[in-house]
Amino acid sequence: MNEPVRTSADFDPAEGAGEPGNTASAPRRRFVLADDTGFDEVPAKYRRFYRRWQGPADELEPNEVLCPVCKVVIRSARELRPGDRVYCMPCMSRLEVVRGASGRLEAIVRY
Amino acid sequence: MALDAGELHTREHAGFLAEVHSFEFWFQSVEGYLHGRPHGISPDTPTLELAPARREALVATLSTYCVGEVAALEGASGMIGFAPNRQCKIFLATQAVDEARHLEVLLHRLAELGVEDAEARFETRSNRHLLAFRDTLLRHVAAKDWLASVFAQNVILESMEFAAFQSHMRTADPRTAEMLGGILKDERRHMGFGENDLGRYLARQPEARQRLREIKQALDPLVLATFEESMTQLALPASERPELGRLYLESVARLGIGS
Repeated sequence: MNEPVRTSADFDPAEGAGEPGNTASAPRRRFVLADDTGFDEVPAKYRRFYRRWQGPADELEPNEVLCPVCKVVIRSARELRPGDRVYCMPCMSRLEVVRGASGRLEAIVRY
Repeated sequence: MALDAGELHTREHAGFLAEVHSFEFWFQSVEGYLHGRPHGISPDTPTLELAPARREALVATLSTYCVGEVAALEGASGMIGFAPNRQCKIFLATQAVDEARHLEVLLHRLAELGVEDAEARFETRSNRHLLAFRDTLLRHVAAKDWLASVFAQNVILESMEFAAFQSHMRTADPRTAEMLGGILKDERRHMGFGENDLGRYLARQPEARQRLREIKQALDPLVLATFEESMTQLALPASERPELGRLYLESVARLGIGS
């Protein structure tokens, strides 16, 4: 459903984005997003970018972050890092990825 | 114009907003979860025989939900006339359709439960605090007060409904749960529209926060009383009760208008 894959063929215009000084070391991991996560609240072509959150015990992958507005898990084709922007289509929010107090990635709304 | 899905998170904000507010986006979204579910329920979802007391509580709760949906139907349709731009007008038109559907499926479920006078009497069975909230909301709409209307309807009412439906689904019979699940998926858009529209507004006019705080203070007692009564009616365990108001509180905190 969400398997990492390395490929140079995937050009990503936002590859350089992210927290200044944190891009450094490792290249970002790429992920193949399965077509159907069971999430049916957005048009079919966008469904692979979202999945339902299973509650606090749901462990997010490095390419996933929880929307604080509507509690849907947002998925990206690449590993997420602080400073990245992602969109939550189900609730129409633009979000910025940050490192939370717990050390995990979180998202805050950028209206 | 819709961009290729592969570019989703790297696209321009303006293009994203144009797409998610569009009728086309709404149509393709609801198709995914409404197709094949007349009145929001799959034909093969089983019907449970409810004990009289449970049925009575469910009828009262669904009647309260009807009041919320009528309020949002009248609110959203009224707001189209004074929405600040085309995107908001189109989004509110889709919301009005959603609310009309919610009312219809709720009345249908009440009919399934054997309520013959559902349409005529849902107000008398409803939570009185929500009726007072509805009156306040519709006064803001009648005054063409965009800020107050979006806040009362799309932030307060929608997050209240979202939380209530989510909790109710956990204990509801299968047909009611499936119907509420479909409504919940619409509420996600309505709630997000409200917070994001107000967030952009407040970024341009931060002084408006004070006015929203005053509106919030006036409406909070009604919101809390509605929550309290609904929780009792649904017999929610005490451990779940704090969760019910959390979405609303988190939303107002993000907007910088918390207490």
